[in-house]
Amino acid sequence: MAVMKFLCDTKRCIECNGCVTACSNSNSEALTFGTMRRRVVTLHDGEPGEASISVACMHCSDAPCKAVCPANCFYTTDDGIVLHNKETCIGCGYCFYACPFGAPQFPKKTAFGSRGKMDKCTYCAGGPVPDFSEEEQRLYGANRIAEGKLPLCAEMCSTKALLAGDAEVISSIYRARVAARSNPDTIWGYVPETGN
Amino acid sequence: MIRQCLHRLLLPLILCLLAVNPALASDEQQQQEAALMAQQQKVLAGEQQQLSQLQAQPQASDADLWRAVRAGDAGYTVAPGAESGRLINAVGQEGRLIRDQYVIPTLGAMLVGVFALFLLFYLINGPARLTKGFSGKMVRRWSSADMLLHWLMAISCLLLMITGLIIAWGRHALEGWMSADVWAGLIYGSKTLHDWTGPVFIVSWALCILKWMPLQMFKRYDFNWFMTAGGYVHFGPFKGKHPESGFANAGEKLWFWTLALFGLFISVTGVMLVLPDLVITRENSFVALIIHGFSAAILIGFTIVHIWMATALSEGGLESMVSGYCDENWAIQHHNIWYDEIKADGSLEYKT
Ligand code: HEM
Ligand code: SF4
Ligand code: SF4
Repeated sequence: MAVMKFLCDTKRCIECNGCVTACSNSNSEALTFGTMRRRVVTLHDGEPGEASISVACMHCSDAPCKAVCPANCFYTTDDGIVLHNKETCIGCGYCFYACPFGAPQFPKKTAFGSRGKMDKCTYCAGGPVPDFSEEEQRLYGANRIAEGKLPLCAEMCSTKALLAGDAEVISSIYRARVAARSNPDTIWGYVPETGN
Repeated sequence: MIRQCLHRLLLPLILCLLAVNPALASDEQQQQEAALMAQQQKVLAGEQQQLSQLQAQPQASDADLWRAVRAGDAGYTVAPGAESGRLINAVGQEGRLIRDQYVIPTLGAMLVGVFALFLLFYLINGPARLTKGFSGKMVRRWSSADMLLHWLMAISCLLLMITGLIIAWGRHALEGWMSADVWAGLIYGSKTLHDWTGPVFIVSWALCILKWMPLQMFKRYDFNWFMTAGGYVHFGPFKGKHPESGFANAGEKLWFWTLALFGLFISVTGVMLVLPDLVITRENSFVALIIHGFSAAILIGFTIVHIWMATALSEGGLESMVSGYCDENWAIQHHNIWYDEIKADGSLEYKT
């Protein structure tokens, strides 16, 4: 059993939006116009200390969306991926309110009543219907996990800023990078006292 | 940082060289060394400046950058959506904890608790009978417009309560009892019905409140009604009391104003939830959800009391909302001031 996560190395991300395009391509059947499962946010754009980061669903281990959903349509796979059942979803929007990362999306932006079925990053792992079925394509998009592959966004990242995989594995890759840069500054939340 | 160290090492090295080999240091050379030294110092000063800039400009420091992101700082993005530039917003998660830990239990406690308390009270106390029995003479109490409004509001409100409780409690109390398909249908149906019944309630509620407000102003004698628990308690010091009351008694007035206030809260927050584009931020949405839930809990509690009173506890009470007429003895016993008033000004109207 793995715990699949994304990790974005902000010292590498160049805001090319390649991951966003890869995601839309990989899951094109399931996405409606205007929904983006992944987005790149640039902080302090054009100022000193600019940093870009690619975000989608974090596949939280104790997921707020899953806890709040009145239809109880979320489930966590053995790989720690948070998925949901679109047949059961009632489009109430509670998961969007509860998610700290703004991952859930809705096809209808101006809605009385239902906003339509919620859509979010599936970690390219499909949904609760038979693997590779036409239904899975239409509702959830790709199922690369069942093919033994990683999400397309991370696979296609040109600078390998966006990492996907088991939490242990990707964090050790990141740790090695930080060590290789021999710059303590690259660790989030840690700026060393610069001595002489 | 590494470069800075190198520069600092370089400087003493050059000085050493100068000291060890003074013979070699011709004028020309000395000039060159001096220029080099000046340059080194400039670089050093530059780096020093960069460092102090970093300290003065917190956004350039990684720690503060991510601290600000955690606190809700937003950046630039091409993604559509009102808050897509915002990386982290944990308000909804906190709101969700309030909902799960307080709102949902309160809703359940109100439903079960108030019902159980009233059942117990009813079994011990028994209903309020008409002391003089039914007179058979019926007095006009509500117009047909009043009754239509009342039942529109009552039926829509009850539907909203049932569907609302399914939305809040369904996954905890009902889902386990049915197949996945039935559950999906039930929760989807509840949500849809809740959305479409809301406007019916809002309109009928607003009309009822406006139309009935003049009858619901608190009067001096209402205080006494509360002190004797309305004359409904048939034991202890309250036994045999018949407090005075006008068209509406103090208890009904309390119900009316509770419904006015919490009906307003529940209507406004309901509209916020059903039209998400009115309240773009997640903060507003969750505040609305929590106020909606607490208001519902209060209305559910009061409605249970209200229905108990109307159907079981007050003999002859339900009649007046069904036919629009009440028994004359019921009017004298429960609403004496109102009865005296209509008798005096001649507006008393018997059923023919
Ligand atoms: C099936 C359930 C209900 C029954 C049997 C019922 C019965 C009654 C009766 C008999 C009256 C007349 C009292 C009188 O003549 O003085 C009344 C008044 C009223 N009802 Fe209901 N009712 C029900 C549900 C509701 C609900 C759900 C609401 C609100 C959402 C509501 C709001 C009111 C209000 C505001 C009044 C006016 C009371 C007053 O004079 O203060 N009722 N109801
Ligand atoms: S949708 Fe949001 S809350 Fe749910 S798992 Fe993904 S990041 Fe976590
Ligand atoms: S929108 Fe759908 S997935 Fe999200 S909380 Fe509501 S029912 Fe659950």
